[in-house]
Amino acid sequence: MAIKFEKVSHVYSDGTPYRYVALADVDLELTEGKMTAIIGQTGSGKSTLVQHLNALLLPTSGKLTVLDKVIEAGKEQKGLKALRGQVGLVFQFPEYQLFEETVLKDVAFGPKNFGLKEEEANEKARQAMAMVGLGKEYEERSPLEMSGGQKRRTAIAGILAMDPKVLVLDEPTAGLDPAGTKSMMELFRKLNKEYGKTVLIVTHDMEQVFAYCDEVVVVENGKIRVHTTVEDFFRDSTECRKMGVLPPALITLKEMLRDKGFKVPEGNLNIKELAKIIAGQVKKHG
Amino acid sequence: MGNFTLGRYIPMDSPIHKMDPRAKICAMLLVLIAVFMPAGWLGYGIIFAVVAGVILCAKLSFRYILKSMKPMMFMMLFLLVINCLVMKTGTPLFTIGSFVIYSDAITQTLYIVVRLLLMIMITTCLTATTKPLEMTLGIEDLLKPFEKIHVPSHEIAMLISIALRFIPDLIDETTRIMKAQESRGVDLKEGKFTEKIMAILSLVVPLFVSAFQRAEDLANAMEARGYAPGEKRTRYKVLKMHKRDWILLCGAFALLAAMIVLAYFR
Amino acid sequence: MALIEVKNLKYSYDQKKPAVDDVSFEIEKGLYYTIIGHNGSGKSTIAKLIAGLLEKESGEIIIDGMPLDRENLYKIRSKIGIVFQNPDNQFIGSTVQDDIAFGLENHCVPQEEMDDIINTFAEKVGMTKYLHSEPTHLSGGQKQRVAIAGVLAMHPQILIFDEATSMLDPQGKAEIKKVIMDLHENSGLTILSITHDIDEVVTSDKVMVLYEGKIAMFDTPEEIFKDEKTLVKLRLDVPYCLKFANELKKYGVDPGHEITTEGLVEKLWQSSLKK
Repeated sequence: MAIKFEKVSHVYSDGTPYRYVALADVDLELTEGKMTAIIGQTGSGKSTLVQHLNALLLPTSGKLTVLDKVIEAGKEQKGLKALRGQVGLVFQFPEYQLFEETVLKDVAFGPKNFGLKEEEANEKARQAMAMVGLGKEYEERSPLEMSGGQKRRTAIAGILAMDPKVLVLDEPTAGLDPAGTKSMMELFRKLNKEYGKTVLIVTHDMEQVFAYCDEVVVVENGKIRVHTTVEDFFRDSTECRKMGVLPPALITLKEMLRDKGFKVPEGNLNIKELAKIIAGQVKKHG
Repeated sequence: MGNFTLGRYIPMDSPIHKMDPRAKICAMLLVLIAVFMPAGWLGYGIIFAVVAGVILCAKLSFRYILKSMKPMMFMMLFLLVINCLVMKTGTPLFTIGSFVIYSDAITQTLYIVVRLLLMIMITTCLTATTKPLEMTLGIEDLLKPFEKIHVPSHEIAMLISIALRFIPDLIDETTRIMKAQESRGVDLKEGKFTEKIMAILSLVVPLFVSAFQRAEDLANAMEARGYAPGEKRTRYKVLKMHKRDWILLCGAFALLAAMIVLAYFR
Repeated sequence: MALIEVKNLKYSYDQKKPAVDDVSFEIEKGLYYTIIGHNGSGKSTIAKLIAGLLEKESGEIIIDGMPLDRENLYKIRSKIGIVFQNPDNQFIGSTVQDDIAFGLENHCVPQEEMDDIINTFAEKVGMTKYLHSEPTHLSGGQKQRVAIAGVLAMHPQILIFDEATSMLDPQGKAEIKKVIMDLHENSGLTILSITHDIDEVVTSDKVMVLYEGKIAMFDTPEEIFKDEKTLVKLRLDVPYCLKFANELKKYGVDPGHEITTEGLVEKLWQSSLKK
C-alpha cells in the first residue's frame, strides 16, 4: 500500500489556549494508481491531511507510511526532502510560487534542488512542460507575462519536473473558466492514466469528482467520515446533501425524474442511457 | 514570533484599557521625559511606584513585562562591560586580575538599566492597553495641529491602520509560499550559500508579486467606495475625553513637575 | 432612456491586443444582467471601466445621462457599487462595522447617523452578530457579505459583482447567490454580475457573452442557450438539462427549449400524461 495513515493526529499549538485538533486518530489507506478526490468543508482538516503526504507537517501522534517512508510521531525524521520529490504537492493558486526569469528556469528549479545538474534539470523541465501542454516556444518567456491558465500549468510542470509518483493538488481549478477547468481536469486524467501517477485532488466541485475520480475521501471534523468508490458515493444525493454541496447534475436530474414518477433504475446510468429509458417511458404513454 | 511580546495589545477589561488613546499617548510622552530628568534614585523610585500602580490597574502581569525585556538583556550586558572598561571614576570596588572596576561604572550602568526598564514598562502600559485602531485614531488626532505645516495626519493614520490590517494576511501568505517552495525541495535551513540565496529569492519574489496584487486590489476597492486622498471625510470612530483621561494627564504632568523639582531645585 | 450607455468603448493593457475592443451596449434600469466569457475576455475590464477605475482609451460611457469623464468621476462613482473577487483584499476596516463605515466616511455622512446605517445594512446581509469581528475571524462568504453591505450603504443605483463568488467554498457561494437574488427581487437595483456559474446565468434577465474583448451575444438566457454550438465555440458551458434534451431528441422525444432542470422534468411529465 502506497499511503497509509494509522491513528494519525495533528494538534496545532498544543499546550496553549489556542490548542486546535486538526486531525484526530485518522486511519486511511489510499490506493496506488487511482485518482482520488478529497472533499470536506473549509476547516474540516483536509489541508492538514494533505500536507502530511509530503511531510510538510508531521503527525503529532500516530504513524504514517508514504511510499517506502515511515514517519512516526516523536521519532527523529531523516530523508524528508527525498519524500518531497516523490510526492508532488501543488498548492491552491500555485501561480503565486513562480519567481524565475524564464519558464524553463522556473520549471527546472525543483529538480535542481534535488541535486540534478543544469542540463539534466532542463531535460526534466522540458518533459514536464510537454506533459502539461506547454510547447518549446514558452521556454524563454517570463512566467509573469503569461495568462492565468498558462501560469498555473507552468507551476504544475514545476512539480511534475521532480518526477513524483504521487501528485497532490489543492483546488487546482479554482478561478479558471469552464473551458480551462475542463482541460486542466483532462490533464490530470492523462497524468493518471498515461503516466501512471497516483493523483489526489482536493476539490469542492462534485461534477469533477463524479466525472474524473475513482475514489472519494470525505474529511469531517478532523476525521475520515467516508472512504468509498465514486459509484457508491453518488448512488444518490444523500452524501452531498449531508455536506451541503450541490450533487452532480446527472444525480439531481435522476432524482427529479423519480420524484415525478418516472422509473429510473438504480446503478450507474450515464446521460445517454438515461435519455433512452426516459424517452421510452414518455413515448409508451402516448 | 510567538515569544515576541513587546508592543502587543492584550485585551483586558480594565479602566486603563477604556481610556482615551490621546490621553494615554500624551501621558506616556510626559512620563518618558520625566524618566530622563536626573532626579536620582528617589526620583526613579517614585516613577517606578507610579508606573507599577498603573500596570496593576491595567491587570497586566509583571512577568509579561519582564519577558518583553528579554531581547534587551544582551544589550545591557554589553553596556556593563563597556562601562567597566571605560569608566575610571569613583571609588575602586574590586579587581579582576590587574583590572580595576570602579563604582561609577556600576552605578552608571544601573542608571541606564533602570531607565530602560522604566521606558519599557511605560510604553507597554500604552501598547498593551490600546487597540491598534484606537492608537491610529489617537495619532491622527494628535497630529491634526501639525497639518498647518503640511503633515498629512490623516494619510499617516490611514497608512498605519492599513498596514496593521494586512500584517496577519501577509504572515499567512509568507507561510503559504514557504510551504509551496519547500514542496519544490527548497531547504531554508541548510544548504550552500548560493542555494540559500535562491531559497530566499524564491520566497521574496512571489511575496512581492502578491503584495503588489493586493495593493492594486485594495486601491481599487478604496477608490470604488469613494476614497480620495486629501479630500474631506467624516469619521465613524470619534474619541472623547472623559474625567478619568484628564486625571491621567494631570497625574503625568504632576509626575514630570516633581522630577524637575527633584532634579534642579533641591 | 438606458441607465448605462456604452458606445465604441476601447481599452488596452498593452500594445498587443485590446482587452475591450470597440464595444457598444445599453443597460436598462432595474434588470439583472450576467456577464460571461472565458478568462481574459474583457469582463472585469468592462466592469472597471464603468466604475471609473480604469480610464477608457476611446469611446463613450454615459451613466444616468451623465458622461463618465474626469469632471463627473466622483458623482458617477457614487452611483455604482462594485464587489470584487478577493474577499481579503477589499476588507479595508479593522472590524466589520469599520469596514461598512469606510464608504460612509468618504461620503461625509455625519457621524451620528452612521450607526443606524451600519446596523440596517449589516442586517440586510445577515451580519449583525459580527459587527465587532475582525476579518481574520470571518469566512470568505462572510467577508463578501460585509463588502456587499459596505457598498449598499452608499445607496448606489448600479451594483456590479466582479466574480464575487469565484474564490468562495460552496457554502460561501450559496450565501452570496442568495443575497444577490434577494437584492434583485426586493431592491430594484440594477445588477451586473460577472460569473462563470451557469445556474446563476439562467436566473438572470439578460446575458452578455464576451469573447476576446468583443460582445459575442447579448440576449435573454433562453435565447442565448438556444445556440449551443456557438457557446461551445466561445469556450462556455451549457446547462446540463440542455445536454439531456439533446440526448432525448436522438430517441425521438423533443421536450422543447427548457433551460432549467425543473422545467424540463415538468415538460416531460406533462407530455407523458397527455398522450
